[in-house]
Amino acid sequence: MPLVGELALALALVVTSYSIVANVLGTQRNIPSLVASARHALWANAAMVTVAVLALLMSLLQSDFSLEYVASYSSLTLPTMYKVTALWGGQQGSLLFWTWLLALFTGIVAFQYRRSAVLAPYALSVLAGLAIFFLFMLNFVTRPFDMVTKMPTDGQDLNPLLQNYWMAIHPPSLYTGYVSASVPFAFATAALITGRFDDGWIRSTRRWAVFSWFFLTLGNLFGARWAYEVLGWGGYWAWDPVENAAFMPWLVMTAYLHSIMIQERKDMLKIWNLALIGVAFCLTLFGTFITRSGVISSVHSFTQSGLGPFFLAFLLCVTVAYTALLLSRVKQLRSPAEMESYLSREAAFLFNNLVLVGIAFAVFWGTLFPVLSEAVRGVKITVGPPFFDKVNAPLALALIFLMGVGPLIAWRRTSLHALATTFATPAVLGLMTGLGALIAGLRQWYVLSAFSLAAFALGTVLVEFRRGASARQHMTAETPVRAVVNLIAKNNRRYGGYIIHVGVALAFVGIVGSSFFKTEVKKTLKPGGSMDVGPYELIFLGLDHDATAHLESARAELQVLYRGEPIARMYPAKLFYRRQQQPATSVAIRSTPMSDLYAVLASIDDKSDLATFQVFLTPLVFWLWAGGFVMAIGTVVALWPNVRERSAIAALVRGTVAAETGPPAVLEGE
Amino acid sequence: MPKQARFVIGIMLVVAAIGYLIASAVSNTAEYYLTVNEVNARRGELSGQMLRIAGRVVPGTIQWDPSSLTLKFAISEPPAEGESPVTPVAAGSLGTAVFNVLSRGQPKPDMFAAGRDVIVEGQLDGDNMIEARQVLTSCPSKYVPKSKPE
Repeated sequence: MPLVGELALALALVVTSYSIVANVLGTQRNIPSLVASARHALWANAAMVTVAVLALLMSLLQSDFSLEYVASYSSLTLPTMYKVTALWGGQQGSLLFWTWLLALFTGIVAFQYRRSAVLAPYALSVLAGLAIFFLFMLNFVTRPFDMVTKMPTDGQDLNPLLQNYWMAIHPPSLYTGYVSASVPFAFATAALITGRFDDGWIRSTRRWAVFSWFFLTLGNLFGARWAYEVLGWGGYWAWDPVENAAFMPWLVMTAYLHSIMIQERKDMLKIWNLALIGVAFCLTLFGTFITRSGVISSVHSFTQSGLGPFFLAFLLCVTVAYTALLLSRVKQLRSPAEMESYLSREAAFLFNNLVLVGIAFAVFWGTLFPVLSEAVRGVKITVGPPFFDKVNAPLALALIFLMGVGPLIAWRRTSLHALATTFATPAVLGLMTGLGALIAGLRQWYVLSAFSLAAFALGTVLVEFRRGASARQHMTAETPVRAVVNLIAKNNRRYGGYIIHVGVALAFVGIVGSSFFKTEVKKTLKPGGSMDVGPYELIFLGLDHDATAHLESARAELQVLYRGEPIARMYPAKLFYRRQQQPATSVAIRSTPMSDLYAVLASIDDKSDLATFQVFLTPLVFWLWAGGFVMAIGTVVALWPNVRERSAIAALVRGTVAAETGPPAVLEGE
Repeated sequence: MPKQARFVIGIMLVVAAIGYLIASAVSNTAEYYLTVNEVNARRGELSGQMLRIAGRVVPGTIQWDPSSLTLKFAISEPPAEGESPVTPVAAGSLGTAVFNVLSRGQPKPDMFAAGRDVIVEGQLDGDNMIEARQVLTSCPSKYVPKSKPE
């Protein structure tokens, strides 16, 4: 098996290199058969990397400890599901997994654009260039199929923290998001190389960008959920460099998805869009770099390894080359169109972009601060979570406000009077919410404004749906429900976007609620003892010990009383993984829309029956996950195949003039 | 005023506001991030400051009282990069500063053990004692036990 994998990786490197030569030569000398053979080479690459992945997977499933990777990240007793996830649980495997996704996506792009002779050959060459870097790493620097000299009888097991459901799906989601961002980047580069600056590159890769955004969103949420369920500190986000590395591309990608609407519609912001996708892509590389290089100390840093310099060099090459390419084209990219008024959708989008990129920059600055301060002042200074909270809290308010404004405000310009009429309902909704919160006893100005703005943003979406649905009802005499369904189906891109806005507003409420009102109680109890947490009383009934070949566990039983009435039992536990000789926490969570009761068995004393519990009461955190779910649904709606859009793209791919006179279905609606 | 100029002013105002937010947040939240020896070398200027100190838990110094959630231990300089990450450092090895750490009211982290690398957040007082606000354990995704396969 290992030999097969190694051979496949070597062949993949060869065919990918060939594809670049064939693509570039074939396009410049106009030899279609050479371009076709480049395409076939990329498909061969996808097949080869798939073989390598399967080879590693088989070795993991067969517990072939002669392979260093298997010996380091798996064990005989590791449950089968985690043997599969060990594929991306370690350094070499995760790079192989990344390369595999890149190879598959490149193969799909090669198929989608098999009839396009304009941008595709160059875009495919860019993608192949990226693949060559990763294949080079896998073949020569960090080899997944290295053997051990003396085969151990058992492996060292996967890190217990990674033996969790969310950890199983978090990395693949994030990697999918990272890797698919390279498709729009490749087309942007191709546009710059060929000098085709119309929005063809944007339209043909918009779906890839949304796809990437979808998985970046999920990846971040799954990671947060993992931190919430596994790390046992009651929170879900700690502004650790590793988390920031995943968050920054998401922010920039969000900005990009908004600003390309301006270019599609108004032919503005061309340079900005090309820059944004470049930044987003470089941030995905940067994320991989900081999680693997050990340059920035992270609490849960990835293995220290020799990959850092390679990644840094690659990142610098890509950044410098892309920047130079962009600068060389700046003159041709200038757009004659101008913004007309602050009171326009263009302006709202422009400022939403500034805020999103501003947040990304602040996160970047805070993440790199230790490195920068050491370089400049010779002493390492860190900024912790308080820095990120302080900077981002006001920016988040601005963002939610703009998220409300964007969908309702008119393009080009609008009058103050029209503005007042359009925004009357959402504004009243926001003010009522604020007033309600004030009467309910909330006093923090931030919480009051946050809830008001979230209600305002929800109100704008409501107004949009009502407006669209009633227009349909007038024309077609549909029932209200039918009208809403058809409205979404006929304009899925636009209304999918609005559904995402609903999700963002809900998630924002969850974040604010859980940040401001979390309470924590710690107590050491004897069996029979009890502790009060807000309106709840927890009674410690006793400990239950259990053992399997893989792990030992001690499970505490807690009786939960609400105002004296028993309502539930919770079972926080302590696990001990045998192979790694490492304890881990299993949290018990009782979740309701109002608040989460989150119990941690912090420690147990073997001599006595004393158990220390750490219990958090976290209001509204439910809405973070609910909002994430709504965002996911909205994205699926927006991505749903739309017949008109598909034919427009097909026309675009064939190189007809559709780019200039595209049918309205591809455009963002009024 | 030309339209474009009006927007340039608006954009610059937003950029300036974000810059101001970042700068003020940095000055309010910055903490020194130092290793045990670095703190020892410049302890005069650091007293009373919030610090993040990277060190290694000295074996044999851990005292944990679960009923009061009090954790006491000592940290010493972690070995330089390149050295084996799990070699335990003998207590008070020559030429190495050692600080005592006191953490109250916090549960003991899962990964906390003798010989592990930790980051202690807190202030250093006159008697080599760090009153810790937080003790963080590094958890490498690949933990290398004694018997690394060759």
